[in-house]
Amino acid sequence: MSRKKIAVIGAGVIGCSVAYYNAKEGAEVTLIDAGDIADHTSSRCDGNVLVSDKEPGYDAGLTARSQELLDELSRELDYDFEWERRGSMLVMENELEMEMGKGLCRRFTDTGIRCHMMDRKELKEREPYVADDLPGGMWFDDDGCLYPMGLCYGLADGLKRLGGTLSLHNAVTGIRCENGGFVIRTQAGEIRADVVVNCGGVRAPELGRMVGLAIPIRARQGQILVSEQSFKVARQKVMEFGYMMAKFQNGGEYKRPVTEDMEKYGVALVYEPTGGDNFLLGSSRYFTEDLHAEIDVMRAIAQRGIRFFPVMEHIKVIRAYAGIRPFTPDHMPIVSDTEIPGYYIAAGHEGDGVGMSAITGLLMSQLIAGKKTEFDMAPLSFRRFLQ
Amino acid sequence: MTVEQRGLVYDGFPSFEEIREANGRPSAERLAKGPVAVCECVQQIPCNPCEGSCMKGCIHVGKPITNTPRIDFDRCVGCGLCAAACSGLAIFIINMAYSETEATVTFPFEYLPLPEVGSRVQALSRAGEYVCMGEVVRIQDIPKNDHTVLVTVAVPGEFADDVRTMKRAGAPLLPASPRAAEGKESLPDDVLVCRCEEVTAGEIRRAVRRYGAGTVTEVKRRVRAGMGLCQGRSCSKLTMKILAEETGKRPDELEPATSRPPVRPATFGELAKGGHMDE
Repeated sequence: MSRKKIAVIGAGVIGCSVAYYNAKEGAEVTLIDAGDIADHTSSRCDGNVLVSDKEPGYDAGLTARSQELLDELSRELDYDFEWERRGSMLVMENELEMEMGKGLCRRFTDTGIRCHMMDRKELKEREPYVADDLPGGMWFDDDGCLYPMGLCYGLADGLKRLGGTLSLHNAVTGIRCENGGFVIRTQAGEIRADVVVNCGGVRAPELGRMVGLAIPIRARQGQILVSEQSFKVARQKVMEFGYMMAKFQNGGEYKRPVTEDMEKYGVALVYEPTGGDNFLLGSSRYFTEDLHAEIDVMRAIAQRGIRFFPVMEHIKVIRAYAGIRPFTPDHMPIVSDTEIPGYYIAAGHEGDGVGMSAITGLLMSQLIAGKKTEFDMAPLSFRRFLQ
Repeated sequence: MTVEQRGLVYDGFPSFEEIREANGRPSAERLAKGPVAVCECVQQIPCNPCEGSCMKGCIHVGKPITNTPRIDFDRCVGCGLCAAACSGLAIFIINMAYSETEATVTFPFEYLPLPEVGSRVQALSRAGEYVCMGEVVRIQDIPKNDHTVLVTVAVPGEFADDVRTMKRAGAPLLPASPRAAEGKESLPDDVLVCRCEEVTAGEIRRAVRRYGAGTVTEVKRRVRAGMGLCQGRSCSKLTMKILAEETGKRPDELEPATSRPPVRPATFGELAKGGHMDE
């Protein structure tokens, strides 16, 4: 039997991973993108691979498995993408958040995630620069961060070594089904494939329309401030507990003590130290496709950062950027086949694309090869959006 | 020696044409009288430290901040404060009256080791090419200049227009190279291009050859060149030059690096207080 020809459209972190794992499975893979590798959202993000910002259970389980796969990839790929498991922490702003945190912590430990609540003393011991009034936090043992563009370059390089093809700076203009396969019209001519995987992220709906599929993904923008090189303000990822509420919009009655702008732009503390000895400070969530960093959002992010780490006041910001997350209505990605045989979707990871890239690639390769998948695919199915 | 110059964005240093147009040059009459600032600021960028540095208030940038500086040469005494303050290393002090045959050129010098007063050094042009030998006559390292050292070199008067820096002390003698004269000499692989992130020319070439980078931004994402404190203000021209060599394109055909706020670093504190920066 001849090898299956797979066209992966979109060379962000999801497309790179899907292409790599399918090539490993033995397929003949072409990775197509209108621009460069990691040209869009994957170069305008941070490098989270965290259980601590997931819902306990299935969601967290996918990420935990992704972490194991990244351990393997960091040995397998010939590119240092700075994957380090330094742990992560949530910090609480008041006693009410501590109480809510305890419940969440129990739900995590019940599902086998290694984490525990920290009192003020332990929090201060781990991170001496946090604001003195914080009552405590929650520690996650196994979380880590990486350099997202590096992961993309590593995967793309790995794809080439496995005999795959990169077709970059080559926009797809149309897709047509023909003889049980696909003809993909691109700027550089037609590409034939047995299987198409739509890894378009925020552009996935456009690639869906080309075959008549309505993919419910919207752009949810986020902005990040980059610091100058400095001492370590904190050693690993630090998020405020309220980040979860900004992300899942599930705070219920509880309102964080924040300004109007912070509420409006979904601003919540997310701190990430980088391999370059500076740090990234986020986050914001706002429905727009605009790629410009806005002063109102930048200000709110800086204020929120100083609220939790007063020492930041005197550190310099050297750059601000915005990226757009591919948001789905239920916060879960689409990793799925569709009613069109041979047309698959791996998109809609919102802010979890980097974190779930490895497991998404693996699941997609198992799905396409007709093997048993490691996870139940129903929660990720495209069909959940069909009435 | 005639050098075919095309300008700052192509070569990384300004052409005579650009310098002439920038109006930063005193008259021959004023030059003959003694030390005076020569300003070779040819890009309209938002920058004005020179204006505030002058004790006599004879440098004017004004609004908008992208104006290139105007210097009142008759009042300028050639003290050198502006030369140290200019972050673009675009201001020099020329003294044509140094002696009957020699002039001095004073320039900011950012390398170690510093030369000693009295030592013979290779005086270099804007392009970094050998012009002539010179003698170090003054090293100025005053607290006001915040670690920017000004070096004054005496050279034959006819080279005062060409000499703008010197070869680092201890480096081997550099013959005037015909290839360098054409501006086509490649940087050796071990030369640091991005000083903030310590990225060499070799690493940039690898980003292009092995990992397929085709623009300044694509190089940056692969090897961090331009990601540091200066955000590529120093290295993006050199990166552009290497990219042009590697891809066979002209620099003006290559996509420029993306610029993002803030224009200059500001603290989180300043940003939090309202995002207002001094103009």
